[in-house]
Amino acid sequence: MDPDIVPIHGEKSLREDGMLFVRTEGILETMVKTPLLVASLIVVVLMIPIQTSFSSTRTLDLTLYSDGSTHVSAQLDVDPLEPDFEVNLFGPSVDNFVAVGENGFLLSTEIIDDKVTIHTFGSSFITINYDIHDLISKEGRVWTFSLNSTTDYSLLMPPNSIIVGMNALPSNMDLVNEQTKLELNTGLSEINYIFGTTTPPTTTPPTTTPPTTTPPTTTPPTTTPPTTTPEQPIIDISTLSLIGVVITAVIAGVIIMIKRKQTKPSPILQTEVISDSKVNTDSLDTQTIFNMRPEMREDDKEIVKFISENGGQVLESDLRKKFLQPRTTMWRAVKRLERQGVIEISKKDLQNLVKLKKELEKEE
Amino acid sequence: MKTIVSFGLLILVTSIALGGMTSDASAQSDSPLLKIAKRTQEQIYNQISSDSSDEIKRLFTEGTQKINSIEALENDDISYAKEHFLSAMKIFTEISKQLAISNEVPQAEINSMSTEIRNPSNNLQRLQVYVNNLKIIAEKQNVLIDFSESDRLFDEARQQITDHQFVSAMETIYKIKVAIIEINKDLREEASKQEFQRAKKYVQRYIEQLDRLIENTKKQGVTDEIIEKLETGKQNLSSAENPSEIVEEIRKIMVLKNQFELTKNDVLESRVLQAEKSLSRLLVINGVDQTVLIDAKDILQNIKQYLYEGEFDKADKLLNNLIKQLQEIKNSL
Repeated sequence: MDPDIVPIHGEKSLREDGMLFVRTEGILETMVKTPLLVASLIVVVLMIPIQTSFSSTRTLDLTLYSDGSTHVSAQLDVDPLEPDFEVNLFGPSVDNFVAVGENGFLLSTEIIDDKVTIHTFGSSFITINYDIHDLISKEGRVWTFSLNSTTDYSLLMPPNSIIVGMNALPSNMDLVNEQTKLELNTGLSEINYIFGTTTPPTTTPPTTTPPTTTPPTTTPPTTTPPTTTPEQPIIDISTLSLIGVVITAVIAGVIIMIKRKQTKPSPILQTEVISDSKVNTDSLDTQTIFNMRPEMREDDKEIVKFISENGGQVLESDLRKKFLQPRTTMWRAVKRLERQGVIEISKKDLQNLVKLKKELEKEE
Repeated sequence: MKTIVSFGLLILVTSIALGGMTSDASAQSDSPLLKIAKRTQEQIYNQISSDSSDEIKRLFTEGTQKINSIEALENDDISYAKEHFLSAMKIFTEISKQLAISNEVPQAEINSMSTEIRNPSNNLQRLQVYVNNLKIIAEKQNVLIDFSESDRLFDEARQQITDHQFVSAMETIYKIKVAIIEINKDLREEASKQEFQRAKKYVQRYIEQLDRLIENTKKQGVTDEIIEKLETGKQNLSSAENPSEIVEEIRKIMVLKNQFELTKNDVLESRVLQAEKSLSRLLVINGVDQTVLIDAKDILQNIKQYLYEGEFDKADKLLNNLIKQLQEIKNSL
């Protein structure tokens, strides 16, 4: 090392162990300014629509049949400036292909191998449906579904099928008419399944139970078919990300205020998003509501209870967070309650505020 | 400026980090992962008998331990939950394969599977979905198509499957396919007529956009030769007589645009078209404030004017506002 070379910041800033220390006091105050905070948030929010640009898959739903075929249903955003649009199919063995434009009109198509050219003529989104026989293979009694998808998708397993292996992490699982429905992410997914029977095996059950080393609580039932109740869907990531950004912004804002005022400490880290928790004792109690609306669904009752526990009003986003429901599912539930006259919806800071009504009209 | 960039990055990084955390939330101990793993465990357990090999039993114990590990995890041990899930599923896959090799499939299940293969109900279901799609399209296009024969055949096939007359059901399904060919023929004939009408409307919009492009290229001082080629392309497109010719002429224009790097505003033009379509859809929906829509129409005209004048930044800004406004109207419905 050349002894003449001297560190830029002078020798004093270097300790004997050679580590460089930087004074952190006031960095946040210097960096974080409210207008900047707002500007940054706007940038993040504006980035979201850009992601849904032209020629992208809006939804992709796959239905597996027990004979090894798959029904594909996809909604695609297409460029309205283009006269046609080429879609890569999931394989060449395609049946019953239908492409429909944004107004529900049948679009003319030309399928060559695993590609289809659709005459869109200005449609900005199209829906395609087809059956395909290339996604499932069978070895012995084990069927394997395999797909390398470029988008997230839902997968409805065949009736009476039991998953016996998979290499992907589903983001959600649900039961639809006794069929397992998985929400899967982009990338390669391989799912192995077999067709189960409700009858117990004819061979003698193991005399020495295989899970002998396992605690008794985890030993599965021997004959009872799975009776899994519908799962609570996972809250969608983008919404939570946005909420996360807002929380971060709030925390940063609070830190600025503390740094600026340096007087009395204010409550920091109010991580609960639930706002407007002031108690509104004017709203009806839940039992009265349930008595007046006996037809109300059990899951809706839970929502009503939660709103009541939060002082009679709550943001819709908080409901989604509490019940881990996707936006559309929760919106439908809220609208259902509104139709029943149990709640009213208003806007608060660009969010839906759900309030229990103070008076409930009797149903005719 | 550095502060802005730094803080922007801070926010983005935080949002990404939080995004990851929320994604991980799906792997909590009461998550789908555990439910799926437990269902699989149940099924595998039902398939194992006392005659199963020691290796299979050992693997099952190992897989069960993995599931126990998922259950025992705290909610914040997401990555471990994922790891244990994938390991457990890998083990169960291996057991399934070994069971298949050692022919340990219960006879009842083999019978069920072979029945499944012969049973044409899946074939019938797929055709039913297809015909249902065709019915919806026929209704949308106002095409009168008689589906009664196909409906009758579907009922017949379903009954035959219920009665386990699979050979007869296959014959009926063949008849359904023949009926579908006729239905398709009628439907596509009508669709092709309507397609030409749609194609003509599309051409009108395309020419409007092409006019704006020609006007702008003139202002940019592009050579007369290029402008002449674009004008010729426009004329040929106007005189195209069928959808195939229209596609062909547009392809030629696109080649020209790519050749002379005239595509930089295509995304903007596409977005204008989308906004125009959204507006058209809102105009026919009852309950939308018409004054708001009239304002939106005026804004759209201004955007087009800006595009015509080559004021792309102004057009872009106005378009963003318009799209936001239209989205708000949609959300309020």
